[in-house]
Amino acid sequence: MTTSSLSPDPLLQEIIGPTPGQKLRRRVVGHRGLLLGGIVLVVLVIVALFAPLIAPHDPYAQNLMGRLQPPVFLGGTWEHVLGTDHLGRDYLSRLIYGARVSLLIGTVAALISGTIGTILGVSAGYFGGRVDAVVTFLINVRLALPVVLVALAVVALLGGSLQVVIFVLGLLLWDRFAVVMRTSTLQVRNRDYVTAASAIGASTTRVILSEIMPNIMNNLIVVITLEMAHAILLEAVLSFLGLGVQPPTPSWGLMVSEGKNMMLFEPWLVLIPGAVLFVLVLSINLLGDGLRDVSAPEGRS
Amino acid sequence: MKTALLRTTAAAIALSASTAAFADKASDTLHVAFTKELESVDSYMNSAREGIVIQRAVWDGLLYRDPVTNEYIGNLATSWEWIDDLTIEFKLREGVTFHNGEAFNADDVVYTVDFVANPENGVKTQRNVSWMKSAEKIDDYTVRIHLKSAFPAAIEFLAGPVSIYPNEYYAEVGPSGMALKPVGTGPYKVVEVEPGQHFVLEKNETYFDGPKGDAQISRIDIRTIPDINTQMAEMFNGTLDLIWQVPADQAGKLGEMSQFQAVNESTMRVGFLLLDAAGKSDENSPFKDVRVRQAVAHAIDSQSIVDALLKGSSQVIKSSCFPSQFGCDTDVTTYEYDPEKAKALLAEAGYPDGFTTEFFAYRNRDYAEAISSYMNAVGIKTNFNMLKYAALRDLSATSGVPVNFQTWGSFSINDTSAFTGQFFKFGDLDTVRDPELRDTLEIADTSTDPEVRIENYSKALNLIADQAYMVPMFSYNTNYVFTQEVSYTPTPDEVLRFATMSWN
Amino acid sequence: MLPFILKRLGLAFLVALTVSLISFFLLYLSGDPATALAGEGATSEDIANINARYGFDRPLLVQYGSWLFNALTGDFGESYYFKMPVSALLADRLSVTMLLGVCGISFALLTAVPLGVLAAMRPNSLIDRFALFLSVAGQAMPSFWFGLILIVVFSIKLQWLPASGASSWAHFILPTVVLGYYAMPAIMRLTRAGMLEVLSSDYIRTARAKGASEGRVLFKHALRNAIIPVVSLAAVQMGFMLGGSIVVESIFALHGAGFLAYESISRNDLPTVQALVLIFSMFYILFTFAADVLNAWLDPRMRSS
Repeated sequence: MTTSSLSPDPLLQEIIGPTPGQKLRRRVVGHRGLLLGGIVLVVLVIVALFAPLIAPHDPYAQNLMGRLQPPVFLGGTWEHVLGTDHLGRDYLSRLIYGARVSLLIGTVAALISGTIGTILGVSAGYFGGRVDAVVTFLINVRLALPVVLVALAVVALLGGSLQVVIFVLGLLLWDRFAVVMRTSTLQVRNRDYVTAASAIGASTTRVILSEIMPNIMNNLIVVITLEMAHAILLEAVLSFLGLGVQPPTPSWGLMVSEGKNMMLFEPWLVLIPGAVLFVLVLSINLLGDGLRDVSAPEGRS
Repeated sequence: MKTALLRTTAAAIALSASTAAFADKASDTLHVAFTKELESVDSYMNSAREGIVIQRAVWDGLLYRDPVTNEYIGNLATSWEWIDDLTIEFKLREGVTFHNGEAFNADDVVYTVDFVANPENGVKTQRNVSWMKSAEKIDDYTVRIHLKSAFPAAIEFLAGPVSIYPNEYYAEVGPSGMALKPVGTGPYKVVEVEPGQHFVLEKNETYFDGPKGDAQISRIDIRTIPDINTQMAEMFNGTLDLIWQVPADQAGKLGEMSQFQAVNESTMRVGFLLLDAAGKSDENSPFKDVRVRQAVAHAIDSQSIVDALLKGSSQVIKSSCFPSQFGCDTDVTTYEYDPEKAKALLAEAGYPDGFTTEFFAYRNRDYAEAISSYMNAVGIKTNFNMLKYAALRDLSATSGVPVNFQTWGSFSINDTSAFTGQFFKFGDLDTVRDPELRDTLEIADTSTDPEVRIENYSKALNLIADQAYMVPMFSYNTNYVFTQEVSYTPTPDEVLRFATMSWN
Repeated sequence: MLPFILKRLGLAFLVALTVSLISFFLLYLSGDPATALAGEGATSEDIANINARYGFDRPLLVQYGSWLFNALTGDFGESYYFKMPVSALLADRLSVTMLLGVCGISFALLTAVPLGVLAAMRPNSLIDRFALFLSVAGQAMPSFWFGLILIVVFSIKLQWLPASGASSWAHFILPTVVLGYYAMPAIMRLTRAGMLEVLSSDYIRTARAKGASEGRVLFKHALRNAIIPVVSLAAVQMGFMLGGSIVVESIFALHGAGFLAYESISRNDLPTVQALVLIFSMFYILFTFAADVLNAWLDPRMRSS
């Protein structure tokens, strides 16, 4: 069975085996992207972890009489630096707490899908034959399902909440993991140290855990960053469409959705959370790109 | 760069406010937006507000209620008379023709009533028609309608949702044909239908001079535009002339612009919380305790919600009915906003630290969020669930929900029975199941003596308030925004009446 | 070639069958469809009436069987909401979505391929950095946010383009850009990588040595080779795109299949959602199949692998 339709994404091909072109590209973006992405991400993680200490107000405290106050740079006051939302809650504080939601969803969803995808991909690559055929088939089925549509439908059925969204995204986004882990395992499987370990009678589990996994970990980490970004964006889409995280939980996608109603008059309600979301996803992507460049062993192909 | 964009956008809005919109007065076509996709134009086959709007323009009922004076007058009938509790006789208007040329007579009434009264024909809102048993032709212009049981509100329904269809045409094409090519007697006829998306109405030149009055504007062009922002963008561009059901914030901003007028009218829709007093969702539900229910009532600042979110002609509602409804006694126990008292009541009920509950809502996410936040503030933590109406209804009917933010519009029927009947008479939405309450309401609903009705509604409403079975909060309103070239006075029943619109 | 096609076809068929099974059962968990049918303001009487009319009590497997059989003949049942055949409903909406998809992928190809070529011609130049920045930024941009910004800028501020509807070609410009930009980074990267690889090959060096003009080298030799995988990637992206039309159509109020899907989910209109999940999946399967066949036809090595 060919894998051509399984790795249409050039990103994956870059992960699996660099071409001379990509090597060149590394020189262009190289570690600068890694550094920049890393710094921004670390800052956002710190903000998320210490949200209660950093946020100037309670993100849930509503004040109906002080709704829709503009940010300070549009004529507002320093009391609410980024203004207040449609229920009079402090926008900055909600953004800060929103970082928690995005990062939590990104991390947990990527861990769930990573676990599923790695188990499937490594089994397919290691055992080959029928196992490989079944896994490849499953990947094809999964790719054929329209992610947004299925996620929307399932969340609509189960009711939106943080747990449901994480669970649904985790179960839907394992395809890239499976594709990359399968190919990486195939590349490693026939190396001397693996065949040697098998020959001296090490158990399959042991061979996979101690010989194969360490050698494909680089690729795994890169895919984790990609899928984290993917999950964060999808959560925002679901919340934007009203079928994701539910209020009063401060989610950036939800904030854009709630601000959208007043977009023509108070565009900052939409621009601010959207911009923060963009920066977070961008920094994760830069980090992932950088990690791939740094970790890819030379001359592997 | 971001701030620059912000400023230019703000400037653009100000700029667009000063440029005159080119409404289609010249081509005598009024462009209107619907928010919701209308499933079927056949007025018996939809349950949407948009459907009522088209129904009032295209078809006529036997009777008509003047939207301002609330007086009943003849429409397709010229007079009517109660023969007994179960029979009404109508004298029909002569010389009326349908849009397709078919003449109107008793056969049309008999066919329509017999068709819609048969549940197998699938009329969507059975309540509108299920009280009718059959119709009987006396002569070409005299007809009798037979009721299943005594139903004082019959006149209201005959002036509202029950419209008369052409018998020969409807027999031939059925509901699906009627939905694609509607035929009625009203001041407007439908010339174009793209299901759910686009409807074009044209003035009926042969309108029979009924109480709705002759249409003034030649064409009404209605498009479905679900997003309020795009509706507003089209108002700015001049490709729309009238939008309605505009949220309060946006209506306020549009009203400030010189080329638009924003008009606010009240509606009969009331927003309230249903608390699981019967313990359907959980045997140990805290809401079984009257003190907890009273605490919730004290926790919510309805006045602030009205002032800040609903605005306009909305009012704080204290009794479980809309004040204008017959039998609506508003002199009942009320619960002022008092978080401390709410906390004290919770402590008294054994919840000094509050508790956690599921909170369900189906519309107005922002109001629902504000309400749940008030509950959080007195220690009742809420898990917020926003479901579609159908899903929430299903859930509350089967396994029950502890806190349910619901609204009810009473089908615009000006009688308390249309409100209380839905929630306290052991139907699937009844979260109380109090037999005494049910029996009191039953007397009030079926008696033909107004005094007896008023007395029993009062008794029932006082019981509901004392027990805080329901926490009524506010009434809704509707905002209409249209260009300065349009002249229109909206009515409180939330129905657009195209025939009364004209150009300035 | 034929055995290869047959094998891929068999696989595509199996995938399609599995997808149909998943979409049917997944969406059947939604509880009582009768309540959805009755609509807001319905009484218990209305709901009971509808339950009796539609008969939702047959065994699930029987319902799946008859649904699948009917679907194969183009009959997806009746929409709960519109009370008309789903297939009639879809005919209209799908053409909007297909048009949008074609516009979107064309936009992506017409911008990404030249950009990729330019970037490959001058590696490390300003244009290369710009292309790289676009591809990284493009992937991080939430599409709904991008769409809203375009509306604010082009429809409200400049009033150049309409914000909603589908009545003229101008209505498709903004949705095309939003839908297309998401496929751009991948296409751009692949074009650039492919061009770099081909340009450094012996084959091109020979052509240059023979004195072929730079334009001829670039377009006749290099691009023609580098474009093959790009075309098949575009086919696959097109399949993804149709699924992504939900967001774009709901922002721009285009009455296409994606918007219908979103609305139908909200309305519990089960037959319509099932039909749409199936059709979107079929499009994806069809496009990947086409891409595979194309690849195999152009590059015989792939057939044996």
